[in-house]
Amino acid sequence: MSEKSGAFGKVKDFMTEVKTHWNTPKEGNYVPYKEYKDIFIAVGSNYAGSKMLEYISFGVGCFLIMHHYELPYLTYAIISLINMPLNYIGSLISWYVSDNLGFLPKKSERKVYATYFAFAIAGLTLLFWDPVTCMDINSSFVRFFNTLNGMSATAFFKIVGTHLLYTGWTGARNIFWRKKLIPKFGRYKYSLYCDFVPKSVMVILIGWLPLYNIPDMATRVWAANLLFACYNVFGFANNLETCTKSISPNTRERILVRTYPIKLSHLFHSIIAIIIPVIIGALKDEWADINVFRFVIPGMFITFATLTMFFAGRVQERIPQPPIEKKVQISFWDGMFGVLRNKYLWINTLVGLLDSLGNGMLAFTTVLYLYTFRLSGLPYSLIVALVSFAGTPPDFFTPYFIKRFSYKQIMIFYQLSRALGYTAIALALNFFGDNLVLCGTICVVVLIFMEATSTVPKSAAHDMNVRITDYQMYLSGERLENYSGVYSNAGIFSWFTGPITSFVGLIIPLILLTAGFNGNWDVLFIDSARFSIIIVPLIIEIVGYFLMTIPFMFWDYDSSKQEQVMQVLQRRAEVTEGLAKKEEQAVTVNAGKGD
Amino acid sequence: MKKTKKEKKTANPEQKVILNIPDEEVWDYKIEGLAAPMIGKTYKNYNLKKVLLAVAVVLVISLSFLFSVLTLTKDTFEYEALSDGTYKLTQFSNTGNIKELDIDFVSEVEKETVLEDGSVEVTFSKDETKPVTSIREYAFNCDEKIEVINIGAKVKEIDAKSFYSCWALQRIEVDEDNPYFCDVDGVLYTKDMKTLICYPINYDWYLAQENGFEKELWPGDEGYDEYKKANMTIVIPSTVEHIGDLALNYNALSDIYLPEGLKTIGNLAFFESTLTENIYSYKGESGQIIGADKISFADEDIYLSLPEGLESIGTDAFNYNRALSYMYVPSSVKFIGHHAFWDTVYKEDGDLKGVAYIDVAADESTFTGNVELGTDWLPHYDNGLFPKKIDVNYGATRKVIEK
Repeated sequence: MSEKSGAFGKVKDFMTEVKTHWNTPKEGNYVPYKEYKDIFIAVGSNYAGSKMLEYISFGVGCFLIMHHYELPYLTYAIISLINMPLNYIGSLISWYVSDNLGFLPKKSERKVYATYFAFAIAGLTLLFWDPVTCMDINSSFVRFFNTLNGMSATAFFKIVGTHLLYTGWTGARNIFWRKKLIPKFGRYKYSLYCDFVPKSVMVILIGWLPLYNIPDMATRVWAANLLFACYNVFGFANNLETCTKSISPNTRERILVRTYPIKLSHLFHSIIAIIIPVIIGALKDEWADINVFRFVIPGMFITFATLTMFFAGRVQERIPQPPIEKKVQISFWDGMFGVLRNKYLWINTLVGLLDSLGNGMLAFTTVLYLYTFRLSGLPYSLIVALVSFAGTPPDFFTPYFIKRFSYKQIMIFYQLSRALGYTAIALALNFFGDNLVLCGTICVVVLIFMEATSTVPKSAAHDMNVRITDYQMYLSGERLENYSGVYSNAGIFSWFTGPITSFVGLIIPLILLTAGFNGNWDVLFIDSARFSIIIVPLIIEIVGYFLMTIPFMFWDYDSSKQEQVMQVLQRRAEVTEGLAKKEEQAVTVNAGKGD
Repeated sequence: MKKTKKEKKTANPEQKVILNIPDEEVWDYKIEGLAAPMIGKTYKNYNLKKVLLAVAVVLVISLSFLFSVLTLTKDTFEYEALSDGTYKLTQFSNTGNIKELDIDFVSEVEKETVLEDGSVEVTFSKDETKPVTSIREYAFNCDEKIEVINIGAKVKEIDAKSFYSCWALQRIEVDEDNPYFCDVDGVLYTKDMKTLICYPINYDWYLAQENGFEKELWPGDEGYDEYKKANMTIVIPSTVEHIGDLALNYNALSDIYLPEGLKTIGNLAFFESTLTENIYSYKGESGQIIGADKISFADEDIYLSLPEGLESIGTDAFNYNRALSYMYVPSSVKFIGHHAFWDTVYKEDGDLKGVAYIDVAADESTFTGNVELGTDWLPHYDNGLFPKKIDVNYGATRKVIEK
């Protein structure tokens, strides 16, 4: 009885607290409860919308590519190699622009714009003119590209042209929209406002443009690359959730927001993830039905994107930082050296490098569900939902685990649990592969275990990244997210790791090619091929997970250090704001004197 | 005082440190255990560091790029030397212009020449001291250009998956002196004609050209019936006892006649034969016949569906044969692989299409007792929330061919 009244009392207290702090936050906190509600709807829609876009990608795992374009597997690695050198130039300029939030000195801005326009013009030239017509068909250059899987010398130039056009177009847009929208919407949300409409149009075009009917493979490859590049010009990432990472300077409050409204908001997507396969299961050709990309995905995406835009304005960004006009200007080299001094970014980089061992691996669960167990419709939805739901209950205990264990312990546990899980799956496939029911049950149980043990580390990893950028701000006066690539994996560290991972990323596709996996996914219906295609990359992945524990042993950035960093940042914000006010007053006084 | 276990678990070991930072030190203040901020300051050896960083980046990029290009660089033909001094063709990478090739000796592309009409002529050089005797699985995987493959006299081993997904392949011709394999008008068999190894995916287009058609036709196209009669019917020779794994996958046949002596149908043998409407069996002797007009069986010698005497149906053997409407499993069958008839049924406008039921000769207890059945050998169809298996009619008699 007393327990009951105790629980009832707690609920009552909580309700009173919510009521009291509905519009104004609790002392020491920054986020009122009303914003929790807005975060729930806004992030939920944004997350569900961005998840819809995961069905569309220029990669082997996309059902549109898998069933309609049927491009050779190795081609993606080849394209990324072709684009790699150009990426360096593109990213150099883009970091400089982005980490200065688009606010460049006039002269620099003109130079950057000129470079981007030159890129775009060069790109268009290569798309409309074929340099191979002037080359010898027996030259080693032409021969090299013609013998590459899914490639030709002509396709090579078209791909280069596409990349130049993409870099120029996105770069110029980046400066233009950042300058226009960041002062109004903040650094995380602004892109939603300029990308919402064009992205919706591209999502529709992707399904309706029948480029997959082009008979010549190399032409199909570059045409698809061009289409997807245009599609990728406009983003619709989970920006509002990223924004909530900076929702409060209070780190405990950040975790609370992440744990409750955000995690609960993912329910939107969980429901959709059940409904979509049921709808698709009712189509004549299921996942291979083009109507998936003509109606189902665009319909869902546009609905959630519209909801996102409606609520986006209600989620606030609260990083302690100087006013934009007083922000620290970062020179290019200072940005570079600034991030290289961040020890924790090095740890992240090493982990990423080891993680790349698994690059090129097929989505293991897709193969398991669709080719081993031949699931579709509701059974498919239920298994996927069951596995993904396994991660939800543990997430409510995230604050406890984060308090109880250090980030180092959590991340080492995460890597070891992956290695263990994949080992169990590999053993099940090897020893019970003929018994689909037993093997399937073991695999699903292991997947549930892996999902359940991944949510706390994922939350920890998110917070670790936020802490890394807080620490970067302490070191350099700016977060340098683009130089560091902490969220995008495309910073200075990727200059070193990018080429290496591109090379390592060839290993698995080449192994899979010898095992029979090319552009035709039907090969996965061949039992022997399916086994080799799953098991070999799985073993490489297991080794990678064991190795990934090593860098985390050097993680020593604890909560005490984080608290101190936040104190420094808050002091800087106070001092800068004070100076700004003084300057403002001085200007007013001078203006008064002038009158 | 000693801490309790609970206290130990929940206590935050880190003491909160309050920093007292004067205004003038906010940009330089160094936290203990962390690096010092570098804001608006010049780095030591700034220029040297710039150079070193640039050199390191260039080095990493160059080396990785070099290794990547080396990894990707392939010869058109790749071989593996075998212990008996002969060679195995392991991988063929088309230059984009090779439509016909010989597999007899170790070869390489010598020259490609653009002809006046814009087509490209490819010349090969062969090393006749290095005979090719074997073709690896997936050697031609997903090639879209090759139309004719000529197998040399010494080739003795061809994997069932060697020509997997060769979308343009029209014919496989075998040297008459080859003691292991032969071809009948471009269809590959073992020399004793007991096993059908490969019916090329684009064989119908070869036939269509031979029969004077100018383009491939599809159901619904004008003249399709005539096209179908001429190019889309095959009688598999009566000598054939085994249809190999993947032998007729992706074929464009509408009517297939199987001999009564057939014993096994391999894994994925008729995989995704989306145009196959009828499978017949026939009694008596026959060679390979192509074209409905050339067939002259007596009515009593042909019957619907799988032949009497058939013992084994491989995994996914008829997967996605959606034009098929009838399946009869004779009493001789001892093994049906998993998903053998998967996706042969579907729902359209509320109606069941394809193989809506399966007739089985044996009664239920004999069938389930004697036949080794793979998982989901029966197809499922979308039935509201959960898929449903099609019905099986045990102890059924064969459906009679409608005239």
